[in-house]
Amino acid sequence: MALQPAYLLHRRPYRETSALVDLLTLEHGVVRAVARGVARPGSRTRSTLQPFTPLHVMWRGKGELKTLTLIEAAGPGVLLAGEGLLCGLYANELLSRCLPRDFAVEALFAHYGALLPELAVPAQRAAKLRRLEVTLLEALDADPVFSVLKASDTGSPTMAALHPQERYLYDIGSRHFFEASHSQQGVDGRTLKLLAQGDWEAAGLARQSKWLLRQALLPLMGDRPLRSRALMQSLLEKRRQRAPVSS
Amino acid sequence: MALSPLFEKLTEALRTLPGVGPKGAQRMALHLLERDRVGGERIVSALAEALEHIGYCQRCRNLTEHECCAQCSDPRRDDRLLCIVESPADLLAIEEAGGYRGRYFVLHGHLSPLDGIGPDQIGLEQLEQQIVQGSFSEIVLATNPTVEGEATAHYISELLTPYGVNCSRLAYGMPLGGELEYVDGGTLARAFTGRLPYSSQ
Repeated sequence: MALQPAYLLHRRPYRETSALVDLLTLEHGVVRAVARGVARPGSRTRSTLQPFTPLHVMWRGKGELKTLTLIEAAGPGVLLAGEGLLCGLYANELLSRCLPRDFAVEALFAHYGALLPELAVPAQRAAKLRRLEVTLLEALDADPVFSVLKASDTGSPTMAALHPQERYLYDIGSRHFFEASHSQQGVDGRTLKLLAQGDWEAAGLARQSKWLLRQALLPLMGDRPLRSRALMQSLLEKRRQRAPVSS
Repeated sequence: MALSPLFEKLTEALRTLPGVGPKGAQRMALHLLERDRVGGERIVSALAEALEHIGYCQRCRNLTEHECCAQCSDPRRDDRLLCIVESPADLLAIEEAGGYRGRYFVLHGHLSPLDGIGPDQIGLEQLEQQIVQGSFSEIVLATNPTVEGEATAHYISELLTPYGVNCSRLAYGMPLGGELEYVDGGTLARAFTGRLPYSSQ
């Protein structure tokens, strides 16, 4: 096989000197493979095979578990630290949790590569992660459909367009919206129309896009919450306790 | 071919040791049975004793059969320095390297969200307790230079901010006696960003 561009999503020890790795590859999506001898003290690939580093890999094997035959760095890795690093771990956990194996996601791969250096910039992190989530949902055909489901007398629901002034809730099962009752908060149609145009990264819509994406991701993630997100939240919580808001 | 069921059981058990395959296990078993039965007895009693008595140090979570490990009960060590390591093996490596005379704290792991290992599993509550009770002025975050080790260092430094202690991190650098040409790109890049003013002292 030809050299395959890849990123390491996760690696765990396997036997004594090997590692079991999950790679995000350009043409094959998430691939699980054994990296033989990579944990040996003198191994040169030991430091190459790190997350957030563009790699070139080759493997053999047709089954679920491949064996890596070549691992090379394809460029300098991104040096993430502190919160940026946790965001990187979040991206990796999200992708390894949601993506099925051996399912090509070329657009997502390109997007992931472009995302990494941006995680080093604090102001961009949230917006860029939202964009990654949208790209992931689109790749798996699980992104929200921006129209309204309405119950009708005939029994089968009908479709309608979003109304700017109306408030809506998201239905995870059908991936459509439905009108919120008076007691429910929901999100207004104007905001949803902006999101439908692709304004996921707009600063003013951060809260709403986060709300919607989180719900859309739920069916892909299963019931276990993402640990990296819980980690970030517990840090935020600790920071909040330390600095009580003055108002 | 198997010699006997009991022999088979012994080689099978020996294979739980790291670096021991079927052939090695067989050699060990034959050696103990044929040439060194006394040595075998010694292994049995030492192993049984160690398994029964060795636990975690109440202060630093290092391995010890006492309430406090040797590093914690040594009065000549510096009480203002605390070095946080991932494993007892890391502690031994630092001790062998020499130069550090402060206290330790052993995490027995690192934060790894993708493996489901969170702050509860690496004894951070006990660490906070140590910080409150002690009078440390510097905490050396000596977790591994891996993504997980880095995340652990970040989490701990945030956790300890309210206690007003200074956190430091082991520097990334060039291996001693190494050649620039053969050093991997990541290490070289980190060594560059962490370069120090030249001093001929």
